[in-house]
Amino acid sequence: MPPRIQSRTVSNTLLPYLTATSSSSSSLSSLPSLSSTSSQCISRQFSATAAPRGQTKLRRQMFEWLDGEGAVFKHHLPGQTNYVTSLKQRGNEGSENPRPFPNNQSFFSEPILSEELRNEVYNRVVEQKKSARVVSVELGIDMQRIAAVVRLVELEKRQRAQGKPLALPYARAVHEMVPITPLAEKGERQQYHEPINDLPAHPLTGSQIFYPVPESRSFNRVEAGRVFSGAPALEQSEAAEISHPSDLAEKIMEDPNSIGWVGKGANARQILQPADVRIPHPHMVAQERDRLANPNEWRAVADLQSKRLKRQDAIEKERRERIQARREKKLTVVSPEDSRFDYRIKDTIYTTETTGTDGRSSKATGRRYGVPHRDRARGEVKIPTRVEA
Amino acid sequence: MRNRASNTLSKGKIRQSWSKYNLYNMQRFRSPPTTNRTFFQQKWSAKAASRAYHGEQVREGQWKRMFNHRIRSVIPMNASDLAADDGSLVSSGRGSGLDKGGKPAYQTRPIPYTHMTFAPLERRLDVAIFRALFASSARQARQFVIHGAVTVNGQKMKHPSYLLNPGDLFQVEPDRVLYATGHTKTPFERRMGRVGRRQAKAERLAEAQRAEGGAPEVEAESKETAKEDTKETEKEETEETEKEDIKETLQALLARAKAVMSAGKETLAPQRKQELRGFQKAVRRVLSRSESSTVLADGLEAQFSELTLLLKAKRAEKKPEKKDVKPRPEDAFATDKGDAELASAKKDTEATASDKLSEAFAQATLGNDVDASELTDEEFETLRRALTQMRDNPLDNSKTYSTPLAATPIHVCLCLHPTLPRGQPEHLCSRVPAPPRGPPRFRRGADSLRRVHCHSGLWLVPEETVVEDAIGLSFSV
Repeated sequence: MPPRIQSRTVSNTLLPYLTATSSSSSSLSSLPSLSSTSSQCISRQFSATAAPRGQTKLRRQMFEWLDGEGAVFKHHLPGQTNYVTSLKQRGNEGSENPRPFPNNQSFFSEPILSEELRNEVYNRVVEQKKSARVVSVELGIDMQRIAAVVRLVELEKRQRAQGKPLALPYARAVHEMVPITPLAEKGERQQYHEPINDLPAHPLTGSQIFYPVPESRSFNRVEAGRVFSGAPALEQSEAAEISHPSDLAEKIMEDPNSIGWVGKGANARQILQPADVRIPHPHMVAQERDRLANPNEWRAVADLQSKRLKRQDAIEKERRERIQARREKKLTVVSPEDSRFDYRIKDTIYTTETTGTDGRSSKATGRRYGVPHRDRARGEVKIPTRVEA
Repeated sequence: MRNRASNTLSKGKIRQSWSKYNLYNMQRFRSPPTTNRTFFQQKWSAKAASRAYHGEQVREGQWKRMFNHRIRSVIPMNASDLAADDGSLVSSGRGSGLDKGGKPAYQTRPIPYTHMTFAPLERRLDVAIFRALFASSARQARQFVIHGAVTVNGQKMKHPSYLLNPGDLFQVEPDRVLYATGHTKTPFERRMGRVGRRQAKAERLAEAQRAEGGAPEVEAESKETAKEDTKETEKEETEETEKEDIKETLQALLARAKAVMSAGKETLAPQRKQELRGFQKAVRRVLSRSESSTVLADGLEAQFSELTLLLKAKRAEKKPEKKDVKPRPEDAFATDKGDAELASAKKDTEATASDKLSEAFAQATLGNDVDASELTDEEFETLRRALTQMRDNPLDNSKTYSTPLAATPIHVCLCLHPTLPRGQPEHLCSRVPAPPRGPPRFRRGADSLRRVHCHSGLWLVPEETVVEDAIGLSFSV
């Protein structure tokens, strides 16, 4: 590392001593470096141009910008975003979407739920005992987010009860800085927070397939799904039974095993279902179809819909219970009184499905018995991959 | 060698940070030029720019391993579109729908799904903390994790590279978050903090002495009296400090009101300006009076709840008469010579109004019964707001950040919510019989970015600053 140049003031105060030592005795151990610094300082003192005092050109320019054009970012109106793009947009276009990055045209900052809307979600789910599906459609919030909000509001209540400190000023500050979806006033229509019918793009649909179809034949989403998954086309009689792909949604809800399979052994996979089945709210499509069929009978349509939702809820509840019962039946929990631990005992099932064809599948019981697990070896990175809740 | 990434001006890189350097760099950043440069050079500069922002804290080998060829995405579907067409319209004709007067039947918009390239990085704990606005930079978030201030599902997690799973819930200590978002302390605040600490220590010592001294009664009375003396002085001291605390809070409130006034000269509505002015006056008056009178500082919380109850009651009683006292917003503009009379009249009303407000505020800080019947609606609101803020955002010099908390202005420009590129809804079969056209258009938001997106609803939960991951909570569809 080259010797550091000392700051001017320091070198000036040291100067008489340094020159004196260097001239008088050359036996000092620290001499070479000291003398070199001092000589540099001296040479700089004779320079005609003044050395920049802590401000480079770039730094000066930055502060100029911060005091000039960038001064608008020092203050903001609460409840409004204040992004850099507002500098360029001002005047020519009143773009509604908040874009934080000037070079990224397609990135928008999305709104967060307002405090009232969040409490409303909790109120509807917990106090009014509505299903997450219904609340999701009413408020335009994703079902998973609804579940998360309920979980968090509960946590908040618990912490309030325990008297833990709250970061209220922080929350207020954040709410002022980013866009927010407000709760609608009474009698107004609730603004949707986000699209709720998101269809996950299936990897099978990523491929481009050339599939010739006669122009006289109608080709719908059900058939497209079959083409994507490589299943043979439907029999004419079977195809005639399906008037609209959303019919399948109801059928599959009642009997999930009605989805067919293609392939054999490890390659076996379910036939890709149409979007009407795979979206989170298939009942919305059914309702729209009812509306199209009976345009003027909104009450009858609403009744039908509520019946449909009730039925769906009942089926789902029954399925959940069945799965839970089956799990409990398989599992014996032993909790000794003087022990800190519960023991969960399961019967081992020794079949090709559980242990693999050679009996040594990674999920098989007793695999590599007596051999320490890989992560016990030296040098292995042991970052956990999951934390149990 | 250690990675010394920082916001340098010479390189002008954009980082995951809220610093003003970063803001400056961001606004002057231009896409690297492509003319007269080899493909390798272009790739090099493109990678340098994106690497500086996305996972700059991640080692190169780790960084390379994170990516996946298959970018996961979702498509927003419209139920009425699905109901109107079973897909046969889209696949009619030659396979891409019957065109309408030369235009394609289904308009599509290119969807920038390449944004989702960096989606795996967003699963990292440190990046997620930064995205949730709990730290002012990804580096700081990383430090929080390493220093043990972060829990995942209630368990301490010390690895910044932990990849969050669907359904994970992470928490950062609120004090750290406030430290990250707030201002640094001024020298004065630091000194006050030191004084507070010293006092607390002295108290602790005295307490210990008292506990020890209780047993042996051989000690002479002189010592006891001395002890009592010290006790008394302590008491006085603590009282004084409490007094000071209140004063400090009031002063801070005043300062903030001033700041708002000076900042938003053009932007504030006249009515709001008036309100603020009244508030300032009120606070000043209380400050001047608090020196003579004894300020009771016990139980700000209790005071507040009592006060709000009282205010509510008073408000319910006194609703119809309020209208005539209310200063009209037009009055603020009455500065013309011809309107001199009006202005003076306005001055009078304003003076009396702010008098009442200040009186009420003084009473409130003293913990007394507040006579809110004399107040106008705005004044009432101002009072309420001021008290709420005083309660929620108290002055506490023992904290590591400047109190009462105020977010740094620069942060506002850099606080954002990651979004998902959205496209037009597309029907599944529309591309089957059609020949390939352009890049795939179906892509939108990958799961992990979506997770961040899901958080956005959740940091609304203000306390313990909890962020929730909603992805994995299962619902059978």
